[in-house]
Amino acid sequence: MINRRNFLTTVAIGTASAAALAACGSPAPSQTGSAENPVTINYTWWGNDDRAERTRKAIALFEEKNKDIKVNGNFTDFAGYWQKRATEAAGGGLPDVMQWDLSYMRDYGQRNQLLDLGTVKINTDAFDKSLLPSGQIRGKTYGIPTSTNAFAVYYDPAKLASLGIAEPDGTWTYKEYNDFLTEVGAKGNGALFGGTDYTGVWWMFNIWLRQNNTEAFTEDGKLGFTKDHLKKWWNQTAALRGTPAIVSEERVTQLAPKSPFGSNVSVTEVTWDNFMAAYLGDSGAKELKLVPVPSDDKDNLGLFLKPSMLMVASAKTKYKDAAARFIDFMVNDPEVGQIFKTSRGVPASKTQRDGTTFEGTDKLVVDYEKSIEKYLKDAPEPPIVGFGTLEASFKRISSDLNYGKLTIDGAADAWFKEAEDLIKQNA
Amino acid sequence: MTTMATPKQSAPMLQAQDYNPKSESVTAKRVKSLVFHMVALGLTAVVLYPALWMVASAFKPNAEIGGANTSLWSNNFSFDNFVTAMDGIGGVSTLQFFTNSLVLAVGAVVGTILSASVSAYAFARIKFPGRSVLFGMMIATLLLPFHVVIIPQYIVFQQLGLVDTYVPLLIGKFLAADAFFVFLMVQFMRNLPAELDEAARIDGAGHVRIFCSIMLPLMKPALISTSIFSFIWSWNDFLGPLLYLNTPEKYPLPLALRLFVDQTQSSDYGAMIAMSVLALLPVLVFFLVFQRYIVEGVSTQGLKG
Repeated sequence: MINRRNFLTTVAIGTASAAALAACGSPAPSQTGSAENPVTINYTWWGNDDRAERTRKAIALFEEKNKDIKVNGNFTDFAGYWQKRATEAAGGGLPDVMQWDLSYMRDYGQRNQLLDLGTVKINTDAFDKSLLPSGQIRGKTYGIPTSTNAFAVYYDPAKLASLGIAEPDGTWTYKEYNDFLTEVGAKGNGALFGGTDYTGVWWMFNIWLRQNNTEAFTEDGKLGFTKDHLKKWWNQTAALRGTPAIVSEERVTQLAPKSPFGSNVSVTEVTWDNFMAAYLGDSGAKELKLVPVPSDDKDNLGLFLKPSMLMVASAKTKYKDAAARFIDFMVNDPEVGQIFKTSRGVPASKTQRDGTTFEGTDKLVVDYEKSIEKYLKDAPEPPIVGFGTLEASFKRISSDLNYGKLTIDGAADAWFKEAEDLIKQNA
Repeated sequence: MTTMATPKQSAPMLQAQDYNPKSESVTAKRVKSLVFHMVALGLTAVVLYPALWMVASAFKPNAEIGGANTSLWSNNFSFDNFVTAMDGIGGVSTLQFFTNSLVLAVGAVVGTILSASVSAYAFARIKFPGRSVLFGMMIATLLLPFHVVIIPQYIVFQQLGLVDTYVPLLIGKFLAADAFFVFLMVQFMRNLPAELDEAARIDGAGHVRIFCSIMLPLMKPALISTSIFSFIWSWNDFLGPLLYLNTPEKYPLPLALRLFVDQTQSSDYGAMIAMSVLALLPVLVFFLVFQRYIVEGVSTQGLKG
């Protein structure tokens, strides 16, 4: 029989020596590779099968052009992606290059988890200057946008035709948009509704604030608007709630995870223009169209280009140069644009956009972004830390408003309380 | 007293005329049984509806799943979803995901059985100093939420260079880290008569012999419950593989399933549901084969001894 004390000692020594060995580690690998001895960088992204296929093609192309670098690609779904990143960041093991989302930019950037891309060579000449601030925090560039999306009103032309309603041209005030929703609801006969309550969409509110020359967040991360703004906003559709102009909240909940628009229950929806493929897939519709959002000031639509995703590098990467070359390739190379088309959004870099041929729905989205070009203003800085929570509570409180559980005043109070608590907590 | 006497008198009178207690009790039993079965069937239908919905949806085109579609049956019945599901994701075949899940699940079962039974034997049958303290500590780990240890654990495995291997996912199973199973077996063993080991000891058997020849065969029900639970838990585990595995070629099924639904792009609910149906099959088979033992295992734990 094994002597217990001896056994424990053995285990203790074994563990200690394993730890010691790990701590010694291998000698620091060289920063650059060669064709015979390439360096390997890890790249990770979220997305489905389709994106995995396209990314693999892009990586193969990159490796062919850069014999001294190998790229090891990994992917997970969006929700799991951020759980994994949070754990890795805490454990100090973030991958070298990552696909990134705007709402996590400030959080990781401020905690110095991301590489300052100003210190490496990435060509941003072909980028729209209004777009770059969205990857910058206090003047340092942490993320390069791969692609853009813009806010839009979707509508289903076939359903409008069946109701005998003319297609909108996208120059409308909020009153005109409300009238349009009411008309659809009235003619829809209980089967078709105008749309979901657009005042429950945070970004639509943000755009409305921009139309009124107000910032959603100040530079020091505080709220830039008052309770009165919010009350006025939620009042916009007060007369429509409970009428067929707006899909009832009960129905929206029943239809989840699909949207009412994707379920062929409503005729319009306000959201980002990169949802096109998802809506076509969900609804089975042949054609959907995009027009600009309503505005009471016809020269200021409040629209901006938002990076649909960005490329970032880990602050701890050993291969800064290789990571930079890979990011540069992914955002600028025309052939990469040809591989991804608009599946990441409309390519942000002009070289990449011009090198890509767009057809069908891709063309629709690109044309939409071209059509609103003259209205575009600077993209906002990355949203404040905890923005995801704020956006979710905005949606939740507005849904309570639609259920009739809250008055507009009560809803505004509730949201402001949550927002101020959160901002204080993260300050 | 008179009031009490009255029914006593009337009862034999009834019996004498047309009261047949046997036939009425049979009818009553039938009605009872009918009501019971109706209620039970109704409840089963409610409980099984999600499963039925899943199986039905697996054969529908994506646009007809969820949303405003409430009917179970679709006129566009097809196996397309299964074809897409079996295609795999990003160049990794679905068979590979199945194999990975199976390796992890079988590894977990083997590890847990080996380690938990040995540890349980020590706790239940060997008197050593600090036994009750150690036992208490082990039970205390049951109360420790997994989320508390995620980051420290990750750092340890990261420093040891074991991330992106199956080691972090399996090592705990081989080291009896699942306190629940150890506890289950300890309780089971405590109920086995101590005379059995004493008799073996008189015959000259040591701990190894007693454990292998006396305890293990008697513990079959507990071992089987443990296998079933640890198989199913490992088969369904999402967070562990998500954190510790990086290469898609090593992903088990739960990770792969999530890749079909991407809210930022188009979601293929059809393929996801089809794959869920496929992923359910091994667990279902495992359960069907061992189900009589699972009931036995759980129910005999309080009775033996």
